[in-house]
Amino acid sequence: MKDQERHESYTPGRTSRRHSRFLGWNRRLAVALAAVTVVGTVSLGAAGGGTAGAASSTTSSSVVNLTWWTMWSGTTLQLLNTMVTQFNKTHPGIHVTETNIPSSATTSTAKLLSTIAAGDPPDIFTEWWPEIGSFAADGDIVNMNQYLTGQYAGFEKWEYPVAVQAASYKGGLYAVPMSLNSWALYYNIPLLAEFGIKSPPKTLAQFDADQAKMWTFSGSRIVTMGFYPDTDGNGFQFYTTFFGATNCFNKAGKYDFESCPGAKAEMNWIASFDKYPYAQVMAEQTALGYVAGGQTDIFTNGKSGFELSGPWVGAQNVPVSNPDLEDHFGVEAFPGIVPKPSTLGQGNFNIIPKGSAHPAQAFEFISWLAGYHNESFVGSIDPTGGWVPAGPSVTKAPAYQAWLKANSWLSGFLPQMTSPYTQAPLLTPTQAQLFTAENTATANVLQKIMTPAQALKYIDQQANASS
Amino acid sequence: MQVDGQTNKSPAAPLTVASARRRGSLRSPHRRALRLGLLFVSPWIAGFLLFFAYPFFATIYYGFTDFNGVGAAHWIGFTNYVNLFHDPLFKTSLFNTFYYTAIELPLSTVAALGLALLLNMNVRGRAIYRTIFYIPSIVPLVASCMIFVWLFNPAFGIVNDLLIDAHLPSPDWFFSVAWSKPSFILLGLWGLGQPMVIYLAGLQGVPRDMYEVAALDGASAWKRFRYITLPMISPVILFNVILQLVLCISYFTQAQVIESADPGGPGTSTWFYVQYLYEQAFLFLKLGYSSAMAFFLFVISAVIMVVLFRSSARWVYYANEQQ
Repeated sequence: MKDQERHESYTPGRTSRRHSRFLGWNRRLAVALAAVTVVGTVSLGAAGGGTAGAASSTTSSSVVNLTWWTMWSGTTLQLLNTMVTQFNKTHPGIHVTETNIPSSATTSTAKLLSTIAAGDPPDIFTEWWPEIGSFAADGDIVNMNQYLTGQYAGFEKWEYPVAVQAASYKGGLYAVPMSLNSWALYYNIPLLAEFGIKSPPKTLAQFDADQAKMWTFSGSRIVTMGFYPDTDGNGFQFYTTFFGATNCFNKAGKYDFESCPGAKAEMNWIASFDKYPYAQVMAEQTALGYVAGGQTDIFTNGKSGFELSGPWVGAQNVPVSNPDLEDHFGVEAFPGIVPKPSTLGQGNFNIIPKGSAHPAQAFEFISWLAGYHNESFVGSIDPTGGWVPAGPSVTKAPAYQAWLKANSWLSGFLPQMTSPYTQAPLLTPTQAQLFTAENTATANVLQKIMTPAQALKYIDQQANASS
Repeated sequence: MQVDGQTNKSPAAPLTVASARRRGSLRSPHRRALRLGLLFVSPWIAGFLLFFAYPFFATIYYGFTDFNGVGAAHWIGFTNYVNLFHDPLFKTSLFNTFYYTAIELPLSTVAALGLALLLNMNVRGRAIYRTIFYIPSIVPLVASCMIFVWLFNPAFGIVNDLLIDAHLPSPDWFFSVAWSKPSFILLGLWGLGQPMVIYLAGLQGVPRDMYEVAALDGASAWKRFRYITLPMISPVILFNVILQLVLCISYFTQAQVIESADPGGPGTSTWFYVQYLYEQAFLFLKLGYSSAMAFFLFVISAVIMVVLFRSSARWVYYANEQQ
């Protein structure tokens, strides 16, 4: 009842002094809390800004600080740190800080674009996903042509031609690889012998026949296999140079794989593997991809006779995951329908985002990483990573030569880098769509979800989609 | 105020905050209290405006533009929405999402309710059973996915080992077009602990005496469940169905983790809507297109929610609600 009375006594315009004092105190408390919140938020923002500032390019006491975002971890990250330390030691006017960000293509791209939009991007970003064309078309990255003067005038000629082709968009150079990918055919010598195959195949027909002999099963499970064109995510795009189907465009400049003879031949060849159990191969591949830090696969594990892959398999994966296979594998150029050797020009490209505070110094750093005027040091680093350098002169460095001599299987990788049949996909704004569509189409053909003709049509549709 | 058909316009009518505001004569203590209240909730208001309201309206706007996330957004009208309906993967992802929702939602509701009913029974070791069934739901989602990938791996997985030993067919699970969606549904059922606990709390709120009276009247176990339990926990069912529906429509993490090597695969059997939206936005940088997709999903979700709430008047019983 008292409560009710008290409640009823509280009517507008009749505020008691006690209540007024309470309100006043409450207001002061609220204002104080709000002030603390605002000050705290601003302070946190400033602290965050400070952190970002420290991570981004700043110039203090004549030293230019550069930030480099990469997506590696483990042993490769250690290698990068070694390179950064060496650069900082030999370039007292520039200090590079390497930052490791998650390696997912979508995550890293989103982060990069966010920083560009916010006006605080890293100075250098390593890009292995094919978005350079899109970045270049939208003006999100720096055209490096402006730096190709003076001591860098001969830079493009210093690189492998395919390195320039893979990074050029409408006449501008938008990226520089710190290493290139060279793809060749690995073969397991004892496993081939087990199936009566005495030497690696020289023609596509012989390759198809040899690999077919090697599939054995226990129930539905694979015991040994010859070759499968979609292991390790290597779909249609990785075989295009062997069939002359890397750059299929019509007169209007649109992708046109549907009427490209090489593309038809390649997709028909991929379809010839649809008799093998896709799910079982992928299950093996996925499971093996989760172990040994992702450094093993069906070939490294010793179950597959052949695999298309790069030098890192022999240099890094086999010694770590299956040392028994060391000295028991060989590498040959892949036999396609066009003359060999050839390979797909890809690599680990460094780009300079729009808004970088010190793009000139960033270019100096990435050309140094590539090995330009730095052949000796990069020549000693590349073997550790199992990398093919950006320019042929690095391979002449003593350390690189010593690596080549010690590993005869490497001889398969380098000649194809200068082959006229080696190609890189031309940069376009929709290259990411193209590569994704090529992988999807490959998987669908292997599962008989699409015919080869439907798959090529699908690739064209997806790659030519604009908005 | 209507009194016997007449409008009461007596000047002696009590002053309410609403009427005072209408007249612009809110007296100072109320104004001060209002200001104080607004001040206290201002962090929430700021957060709501910044992180919910702005993104929501920005998404609607960008859905009508060609936008890559960095440069200027160019107005293109309904082009993105027109393109949506010509995009085969859009239709596939929509179908996959609703297929998953249509199977997973009723299945998980029945299974979680069934488990809760079992765990509500007075049996020895009840607490241990409850813990066992709840544990999977507190395992991090990515870890759950990895465990499932291994358990159901057709080449190395223990599930197929057991099936083979039992001379049963051994499906290819996540690697097969036919089995991939059922595999994700199985994964969804593994994390039933959360709704199960909510159902359990609802069941324990049903008065015991209602069951006792019904038992005295000779009601069978089924009738007690049908006419007492179900109506009494129907608000809990509605709550859980809404939660599960939202989770199903926005299905993403599990598919992204499990099919990371072949997104949407095998074939296009596991392209879920939000996953496809994410790819369009952050892999292909088509933020305008993905904004249109997001708004389209919002409209669909809103329609489903409206239908669900409208229908709830027929099947949800609120014991305290005045008729």
